[in-house]
Amino acid sequence: MTAAIDYDAFREEVRDFAMMRCPPEIRAVVATYRKLSRKVWYPWQKILFEHGWGAPGWPKEHGGTGWNLKQRHIFDEVMAECDCPPQYHHGLRHLGPVIIEFGSDEQKQRFLPGILSGQDWWCQGYSEPGAGSDLASLRTAARREGDEYVVEGQKTWTSHAQESDWMYTLVRTSKEAKKQQGISLLLIKLDSPGISIRPIRTIDGWHHVNEVFLDNVRVPVANRVGEEGQGWTYGKFLLERERLGGANVAPMLKNLERTRALLAQELAAPRHALKRSTLEERLLMAEAELRGAQALGQEAIAATMEGRSLGLLPSVLKLSTSVTSQHVAEIALDAVGERLAPRFRPTDAAGANAEAPGIEWVQNYMYGRVRTIYGGSSEVQKNVIAKQLFGI
Amino acid sequence: MPFTAKPIIGGDAFEQACSIGLAADTELAQIADATEQAACLRRHWDAIAELGWITTAIPEEAGGAGGELSDLAALVGGAGRGGLPLPIVAACGVLPHLLAGHPAVVAPLAEGRFRIALIPTEAARDDEADALRFADGRLTGAVVGIETPPDPTHAVVVVEDALLLVAVDTPGVAITRYQRIDGRPSADWRFTGIGADTLARGEAVARRAAEARDLGALLTCVECVSAAGALLEQTIDYLLNRVQFGVPLATHQALRHRVAEMYVEYENLRGLVSHALRTTAAGGPEAWRDIAFAKLRLGEAGRFIAQSTIQCHGGMGMTEGLQAIRLARRIMMAEFEYGDRSVQAQRLLVAAA
Ligand SMILES: Cc1cc2nc3c(=O)[nH]c(=O)nc-3n(C[C@H](O)[C@H](O)[C@H](O)COP(=O)(O)OP(=O)(O)OC[C@H]3O[C@@H](n4cnc5c(N)ncnc54)[C@H](O)[C@@H]3O)c2cc1C
Repeated sequence: MTAAIDYDAFREEVRDFAMMRCPPEIRAVVATYRKLSRKVWYPWQKILFEHGWGAPGWPKEHGGTGWNLKQRHIFDEVMAECDCPPQYHHGLRHLGPVIIEFGSDEQKQRFLPGILSGQDWWCQGYSEPGAGSDLASLRTAARREGDEYVVEGQKTWTSHAQESDWMYTLVRTSKEAKKQQGISLLLIKLDSPGISIRPIRTIDGWHHVNEVFLDNVRVPVANRVGEEGQGWTYGKFLLERERLGGANVAPMLKNLERTRALLAQELAAPRHALKRSTLEERLLMAEAELRGAQALGQEAIAATMEGRSLGLLPSVLKLSTSVTSQHVAEIALDAVGERLAPRFRPTDAAGANAEAPGIEWVQNYMYGRVRTIYGGSSEVQKNVIAKQLFGI
Repeated sequence: MPFTAKPIIGGDAFEQACSIGLAADTELAQIADATEQAACLRRHWDAIAELGWITTAIPEEAGGAGGELSDLAALVGGAGRGGLPLPIVAACGVLPHLLAGHPAVVAPLAEGRFRIALIPTEAARDDEADALRFADGRLTGAVVGIETPPDPTHAVVVVEDALLLVAVDTPGVAITRYQRIDGRPSADWRFTGIGADTLARGEAVARRAAEARDLGALLTCVECVSAAGALLEQTIDYLLNRVQFGVPLATHQALRHRVAEMYVEYENLRGLVSHALRTTAAGGPEAWRDIAFAKLRLGEAGRFIAQSTIQCHGGMGMTEGLQAIRLARRIMMAEFEYGDRSVQAQRLLVAAA
């Protein structure tokens, strides 16, 4: 590090950029809690990319900004404050760093530019019907035939597969005594012959997740990241990065502010006085928790920058922010539920009800239940914490 | 290696306060007789004053040690972990702040000659009719459940816009003594038209009292985070050693998860309190908000940790015999000091509106 960084000036620069360059129609999607999709994400990623800010978390040599962790955190915070969409994570935050760390030069040249510009859209093929929390028991198999793998099996819960070009996929390349061994990481093009994608109907009324069936899909060996049989290590590397996501509390605080405004607007009538004050108090309790998590997030960033170990902080952050954001969503549901929950889905059309403005509050409450399930469920995080605390 | 809690502010002062706290708590727990208990507390109080604890945050020009907020936090944190059943936050933090500029009271407070109970404007009362009134230099009214040092010599009273000093032996002062749920001394006070020393009057009194109260809330949070850390350690230790169904309780996932939840609450609270400590030390205008959020969280997290500790100890959790359980009661009591959850929530809501 040479000259000291002026973080306040940096914050201002990011804010000016966000306010001037993020199109109002994109910000409106975020502000009204609508579902984000490639159609919304891509144009924003393109703007960021053209400004040189396509990949805040990547090193400069690969087209990243080279920002330190604190700058990245400020960037994320300001983006949330300005209602800019959080960048689509699968390429930028998950796969990109794995390729940078473990990929070949050829793979770096082939895959990183598309992630950076937003041209290529990625999804994550890890979970399977028989492999959820116990991911290592995955069974989708890849057998080697010359310079190709032939992949056979099924992935499930694959978010965004319906709008993705590629799926980074954990497959079993050999059967070993220990189930964490013999797993490899393959990059699979989703228009390959033998792939079929089926939507899963979820409780939120959005199309988010899919089943992905792989029927003798041929994948070039050149699309394997790193060593054969080492996929578990790469997968873990990636999940570790996913877990520090809990340090970014800014979007949740922003949702909390939106919810506070919702209460004021929805429950303005005197007959709602008790309901309003009860919900406002619950919201305040949630805010206190989020502020606690925010303080811990800052501790985590400081620790990482100083090269200290994070210990249990990522698990603590994941556990507490997931539950608290569910509380916030629940408060919003309680505010609008009587009016909107009965109008969840029109019977004569697929999807959620476009005729009921504000229905997103209901959908978000439903969707938010996933926060304690994916990314290491609450129970799994508690196992991790307890193991450390008890020493057994 | 099982979990060990790290103090928010450690160091010699923390260690000393912790071992004195432990000694006092342990000694007190072995005495059944109320008079002997009072004598025990008084001995420890005099020892603390002798050690100069009360001078910690008093400026040097007023004869104090001129310490900073972090010095207070170390002291209070140590006492909290040890379970010292004495009003350290009030004596070392709140009263010196409130009485700044009154050397005639601060000096004997620091030396331990004046053992002062603080009666704030918002002190509880049994009946609205008892509300404190101060007119024509005379104080009337009653308050209940006031935390007090052993054998109080004085009360400092904030009433309307006045800061008063009342000697206990003034005719017309009646006190009834109690022990709080955390074993600390407390008293009801009744004043019947007594003459009181007016230390100060005017707007500045209310401002100063509000600041002192926030300082009290913050230090109480520090104290309780420290106690909560000890609760976690002791609960883990208990579960590792208590055998039922042929295995240590620590092998059962239901209990392990409960402890993990305690830890998450503890960490969240610790993060928030450390943050409030930093913003208060920096003197930012919004520091009160951080304190209010911290105290609000203490109400939730503290109670969860205290109740879980009791639950995980089974029948032993219902006894006064374990330090963990005494600390749990201390945390439960803290809710009612310097503004409970609804007080803090209300001021935050008013500010947000
Ligand atoms: C909306 C959504 C999006 C997703 N996106 C993706 C994606 O893009 N790519 C992908 O690969 N996967 C994705 N997932 C899958 C997700 O990672 C899994 O759902 C998650 O790992 C949990 O696995 P499971 O659903 O099989 O639950 P299970 O593992 O069957 O768990 C069921 C319940 O048992 C609990 N449990 C499990 N093990 C233990 C234990 N040892 N002790 C105590 N309790 C336990 C769990 O906490 C949970 O409450 C997504 C899931 C959803 C719902």
